[in-house]
Amino acid sequence: MVTVMTKTRSFALFALFAVSVATESAAAATGAFDHGHAGFVFSDIRFALTDAQQAQCPHGLSLNVEQIFAKTPEGRRRRGESDKDYAERLNAGAAKVSTAANGDNTCANPAAAGPDPYAQTVDAPDAIAEGIDIDAHLKMLGIAPRPQACPHDELLGADGRRGIDNQFYRAVGCTHAFQSGGPANSFATEMLTGSWGILLTLDGVDDPVNDDAVEVGIYANADPIMLSADRKPLDFATYAIDQNPAFRTKTTGIIKDGKLYTKPVDVRIHDVVNGMHLERYLRDAVIEATLSPDGEVSGVLAGYAPVSTLYDNKFGYSAGKDGAGQPANPRLILGTANGAARVLGYTCPGIYYALKHFADGHPDPKTGECTSISMQFFFKAIPAFVVDVKTRSTNDRIEKGSNGGRR
Amino acid sequence: MIVHVAAAGGRRRGMRLALALVVAAGTLLAGCGETEPTPTGSAPLVRRLTESEYRASIADIFGANVPIAARFEDGLRIEGLTEVGTSEAGVSPFSVEQYSDAATGIASAVLDAENRERTMPCKPRSADAFDRACAQAFVQKYGTRLFRRPLSAEQVQRYVGMAETGFDKLGNFYSGLEMSLVGLLMSPEFLLRIEHARPGKGPVTELDAYSKATRLAYFLTDSTPDDELIQAATSGELDHRRGLEKQVDRLIASPKFEAGVRAFFWDMLEFDKFESLAKDPTIYPAFTPDVLRDAQEQTLRTISATLLRDHRDYRDLFTTRDTFLTRALGVIYQVPVATRNGWEEEQFPADSHRAGIQSHISFLALHSHPGRSSPTLRGKAIREIFLCQEVPGPPANVNFALIQDASNKKFPTARDRLTLHRTQPSCMGCHKIMDPIGLTLENFDGAGRFRTTENGAPIDASGDLDGHDFSDVDGVAQALHDHPETPHCLVERMYRYAVGRDTTFDERPYMDYLYGVFERDGYHVPELMRAIALSKNFYAVRRPAPAPAHELARASESGERK
Repeated sequence: MVTVMTKTRSFALFALFAVSVATESAAAATGAFDHGHAGFVFSDIRFALTDAQQAQCPHGLSLNVEQIFAKTPEGRRRRGESDKDYAERLNAGAAKVSTAANGDNTCANPAAAGPDPYAQTVDAPDAIAEGIDIDAHLKMLGIAPRPQACPHDELLGADGRRGIDNQFYRAVGCTHAFQSGGPANSFATEMLTGSWGILLTLDGVDDPVNDDAVEVGIYANADPIMLSADRKPLDFATYAIDQNPAFRTKTTGIIKDGKLYTKPVDVRIHDVVNGMHLERYLRDAVIEATLSPDGEVSGVLAGYAPVSTLYDNKFGYSAGKDGAGQPANPRLILGTANGAARVLGYTCPGIYYALKHFADGHPDPKTGECTSISMQFFFKAIPAFVVDVKTRSTNDRIEKGSNGGRR
Repeated sequence: MIVHVAAAGGRRRGMRLALALVVAAGTLLAGCGETEPTPTGSAPLVRRLTESEYRASIADIFGANVPIAARFEDGLRIEGLTEVGTSEAGVSPFSVEQYSDAATGIASAVLDAENRERTMPCKPRSADAFDRACAQAFVQKYGTRLFRRPLSAEQVQRYVGMAETGFDKLGNFYSGLEMSLVGLLMSPEFLLRIEHARPGKGPVTELDAYSKATRLAYFLTDSTPDDELIQAATSGELDHRRGLEKQVDRLIASPKFEAGVRAFFWDMLEFDKFESLAKDPTIYPAFTPDVLRDAQEQTLRTISATLLRDHRDYRDLFTTRDTFLTRALGVIYQVPVATRNGWEEEQFPADSHRAGIQSHISFLALHSHPGRSSPTLRGKAIREIFLCQEVPGPPANVNFALIQDASNKKFPTARDRLTLHRTQPSCMGCHKIMDPIGLTLENFDGAGRFRTTENGAPIDASGDLDGHDFSDVDGVAQALHDHPETPHCLVERMYRYAVGRDTTFDERPYMDYLYGVFERDGYHVPELMRAIALSKNFYAVRRPAPAPAHELARASESGERK
């Protein structure tokens, strides 16, 4: 039902619900804070990945099921075999490789297959990775570092300091698609088509350079991002916060020397692949980002992705839902999972066991096995108006009484 | 949504307006010493329908679902109005082609199986036989609406004949009617508003009743006379003050009046130029096609709400912070707009520097260059559009090199770059009247976004308007509101729009009279339109003087030689 939004009512709504609403355009124009508020929309996001190098991936890159089959005697090309025939045979062979001994598809049930001997990971103890040291971040906030969970080799930062918490990089870094500019790292394209988005709000900011107590909101965006004609995100657009409580997160933090440090909090954001609605879930997520004078925020969103959730949403796609919130078509799920593995250059069991192997967070109290893996994203966010109202679409109800194009 | 505001507000507006008009009429009757000057008139005109009038007429006659697939030629702007240009513009072969396409599409839709039930005034005996009586009923019904007067017997016979010829060729009654309808739609009697003078003696007379109805309907509703108005013309009701008042008040109280007001301001604000407005997307990325569309609508909605729904003083248009926004506009205005798709009634914050329609994107972006603002274009537009002051064009040999160099570090702001023009004798005359206002609007870039610096240098937004000094952009709003020429200009523009021509010297007393009415009624636009619609001057026409005998003789000789 479209309701009349009078100016009185709209301002009342803002007063009631506004999380970060700049009301003075002059203040907003500077990209600075308005009465301690500022809102942002993510304009870019990607995994913090380092490109594969010989030292990091001494055995080369992972293989997909087709490549694995091609390595077998049966999979070699036969003399005089046409391209078409060979492609068909490879495809059939790949399907065999994707089938576990019990008949299950290995993407649907990766545990049914053993570890993939062709899967390559970043095992070098002194591997260099992108991202932040989450423990150092916590220390900055006066929070005691977590006890070392599931002993693992911490990664080195570009500055040579040990402690980068980005074990996800170890799991996927030797896969051709998971390079910094690889196809698995261009998922922001979906964000720019309006499938999903992320909003960030800062409140209670007295000083944007040094402030020892700020409030931070991290939300799923209920609106598609607004773009210019050349597909660049526009600043100062208005976006509404997702009304689903699961996708609304609040935390606190500090600003030190123009850099924002937030306290750990669980964050969920949307993802859409092949029309299936999925989510990205980070536990104990933190933001470490620079507030630039032109109003942009850029930095790192880091946290721990539960391995099972990560696999089900990012690799197996069994968590996929349709537009009505019902489980997605199983054939679509299976096709997407196997297709993605084939195109992106890994096998589902290879990834599954790698994620489990490098998991470094949230040990199971009973088994001691780590259930989450550290993961980091680089992001950039630009100024936006973030409102907490249930927005409407004209699709809900076509405007009646329009003047039919007359002026 | 504004739609509901307007719909709900329409009834309120109607009642409020009716009350106000009664009071206004009472004031007039009570006599304030002013009576309407004797009409002087001008020759009856032939006015081409504007695109908006064409579309509205078709929608009103056949229904809004009838498509009009054609591109209309740009209007000719004369004396600041395309409506004045309608009496001087020609009809090009391109236009005829487009009219033909439109007519074919309209006729096909009107008589297709889906609409036929609704549009046919009769049911033919059979689609396979020619039903003359039914064809005649169809021609008479739609001919009267399209020609805005009853058809003569000869005209009826001609268009029924067309239908019969069509039937003979195509073998279907409705196909024959389609041909006849195309003929009606292509007739000059429809495409042109051909005014007829009432017969009589003396140089000044008035339009005949149907021409009166037409002038009245297009002025107040931007559309063709409805059945009731045509009936009033037929019955002679429009020839008497009381009957005319009844029709004028009916039209003003109708929802269509808003379309009439919007059409006038669309024309006055030169919104036809949006058709060719383009901005460099690398410089103004936020100026999207949505902004292009919504900017015009924002201003027209603001005008409707201010003048009609809220029944405010016309001059408040230059100071009001009340407006309507979409999210696309919010990006440029840098204000939040909660509604995702649609319009939201809002008020710009007091310190937003947004007051008045001259601070809207529709004005600021329209009167700028594709990649930079323009104090000169904006200053000129304020002078010409809102104050009816004519500013001559630039001399032919003017050097624009510096002013076009918007990134010049030595002259970082437009004020710096324009100094040369303001001091050069051949330029300073005009620039001195344009720049002081235009430079004040430099706080808005070429897309209309607020800024305080240009190329890193602070913008000096001080200026003046005819003795009214101000230190920043907010001063322009009040200066325009208080300028004595502001309401004068509207009166002049409104009357020119209503009659479709420039005013004459002999009409000065009438203009003064109209201004007096406007001022006395509190500068309310509906009352001004009512006063025009009820005045004898509005319908007055001058008979062409008989040609002198020697000219007739010369013409005759010329004809013989041929």
